[in-house]
Amino acid sequence: MIEVNQVSHHFRLGKKGQQSRLDVIKNISFHVQQGEIVSIVGRSGSGKSTLLNLISGFIKPSEGEIIISDEKVSEFTESEFADFRLKNMGFIFQNFQLIPSMTAYENVELPLILKGVSEAARKQMTIDMLKTVGLEHFQGHYPSELSGGQQQRVSIARALVLEPPLILADEPTGSLDSETEQDLLRFIQKLNRERGITFVIITHDDEVAKIGNRTIRITDGELAESGVFV
Amino acid sequence: MKLKDQFRFIRQNMKKNRMRVSMTILATAMGCAFLIVLASVAFGLHSTIIKENLESPAVTQIEVHGLNDGEGNFGPLNDKNIESIEELNGVKAVTRQRDLSMFTYSIEEYSQSASTVQSHFPSMTEAGIEISEGAYPKNKNEVMVGYHFALSFTDPDAEEIEYNEFGVPLEEYRYSENLVGKTIDMELKTVVDGKETIETVPMTVSGIFEAPAREWSQDYSVYITDEKYNELAAIPGLTGEFGEIEKMDYYQFATVYANTLEDVKPVVADLENEGYAVYSIVSEMAQINMFFNVAKAGLIFIGTIAILIASIGIFNTMTMAVTERAPDIGIMKAIGASPKVIKRIFLLESSYIGLMGAVIGIIAAYIISISVNLGLPFILMQVFPEDQLPEGFTFSSIPLSLILIAVAICLAVTILSGVRPAKRATEIDVLKAMRREL
Ligand SMILES: Nc1ncnc2c1ncn2[C@@H]1O[C@H](COP(=O)(O)OP(=O)(O)O)[C@@H](O)[C@H]1O
Ligand SMILES: [Mg+2]
Repeated sequence: MIEVNQVSHHFRLGKKGQQSRLDVIKNISFHVQQGEIVSIVGRSGSGKSTLLNLISGFIKPSEGEIIISDEKVSEFTESEFADFRLKNMGFIFQNFQLIPSMTAYENVELPLILKGVSEAARKQMTIDMLKTVGLEHFQGHYPSELSGGQQQRVSIARALVLEPPLILADEPTGSLDSETEQDLLRFIQKLNRERGITFVIITHDDEVAKIGNRTIRITDGELAESGVFV
Repeated sequence: MKLKDQFRFIRQNMKKNRMRVSMTILATAMGCAFLIVLASVAFGLHSTIIKENLESPAVTQIEVHGLNDGEGNFGPLNDKNIESIEELNGVKAVTRQRDLSMFTYSIEEYSQSASTVQSHFPSMTEAGIEISEGAYPKNKNEVMVGYHFALSFTDPDAEEIEYNEFGVPLEEYRYSENLVGKTIDMELKTVVDGKETIETVPMTVSGIFEAPAREWSQDYSVYITDEKYNELAAIPGLTGEFGEIEKMDYYQFATVYANTLEDVKPVVADLENEGYAVYSIVSEMAQINMFFNVAKAGLIFIGTIAILIASIGIFNTMTMAVTERAPDIGIMKAIGASPKVIKRIFLLESSYIGLMGAVIGIIAAYIISISVNLGLPFILMQVFPEDQLPEGFTFSSIPLSLILIAVAICLAVTILSGVRPAKRATEIDVLKAMRREL
């Protein structure tokens, strides 16, 4: 499903003319199979988010290639990648990234609107999705009127509503208390089991990492180990 | 993303900043209304002048002032010239005149001095020149008189004569009976070998011309036939105001009447080709049109500046909208909104502002234009009570073409001013936006 081949990435820091180069991802290669849950762990600042952002297409790798569903996404233009994301990827972020001026319903509906789904079908799918995450009674609430766990469920509903085969999550439990964290992790496992959705989850928490079938550890931008939890 | 949803999006976005958006629309509307009202003056005055000229009977007339002798000097026209002009395509008739001189005419105890002009009546009949009373002369002793001549016989012994604003004596001071059919006496002075004789020649007034179309021009002349001209001019020692009169075998003045309005241009071209100096309202109108078109273009240009100023407001509004919505745009891009869609949404928003501005501006411009047209004559009447506006006078007129021009300019300017902010929206960095770093 995902092939990361000898990918390196560096940032240029400082003023123009006196820039220094910061190598964040150093020649990383790994594969993610369809139906897997892969956890990427590592200390803060090790480059996990940067790696996920490369896979998401928010930044382009300095070197190497990334192939997702047989498409060489590392060579996509910005708008090609946007279309690809809409059709193939769902996102869960640490701080949810809901649009504050839109209700829960509208936030979940947004990907459907972007994809051009008809209004009637949209309504059905949005409501179904809100039911799936158990928020059908909160559809008219704005994000500020929801708890952290509820917000994260809205953002999961938004990530799932177009039924993408792949979901990328950067510290999805980072803003949640441990109980909600457990709820979320169980939900992820359920989605993986029932719908065959592939997950790539970033976390600095080894406990959280355990939900993955496989863990990839990153240290200082390098692949440290790749193990399988049983 | 469907267009309908894009519009919904825009509406929602604009609702969040209703005040700012409506102020921007207002500024655009003002610019647009300013442009239309400004240019409508040129359109209004132009159409007034065109209408006035096209409705005037003089529109098919071509005045011929002379013939180029080949060296740049213009001389008068003779019978041969007239004949050749009469043969041109599209020419209905050629009237021509020769001045004799000023002579004194009298009836009963009333008299007046009037210029005496030979006129070719058959061609006038053909040209369809209307007369207000009577008929054209049938013999050499009959004459036509000008409309104002007929009103200007006064008693030379009267103490003081009062005139109206056009220089015509008031009724109580003038000969008040109808002149048609009456005989007036023409006073002829001859000087032969220093000996002055005065005799009177009776003439019968067969008809009176219509007053000239322009109210400021007056016709005090007496018109005699060719035959009478030849007879009088041949009298030895006949002396007019400026000395002895010599018989002319040429015409000082000829007017060509074209069959129709459409014939005027080709006839003018033919005449000019043959070296005649001509004047026609139609050729003057070409110049008038040119003048007004330049004026229109100039006023539209000035109006465009107003819209450009308003477009700065649109630019600001859109830039602020992009800045405010940067986090939302970042999220939308992250979940898969393509830059094209984002650009389109912002361009649609600025065009919407432009379109609303144009629509409101057009409505306002119509209201202003109509009130000016209604109010201006009234105000002018208060300020200059003695002046009268010509009938059918429109000060401001808004034809469809002006509306289309204004809408096109307004939309072009507003869309252009939205391009930069829209492009900025597409360039928003997803990660920075999600970190709320923008
Ligand atoms: N946009 C950026 N510009 C410059 N440096 C960056 C940028 N993003 C991340 N970094 C740097 O790259 C390194 C890895 O960051 P990140 O991938 O966020 O780590 P993690 O998610 O593992 O905590 C850090 O040193 C961070 O400062
Ligand atoms: Mg991180």
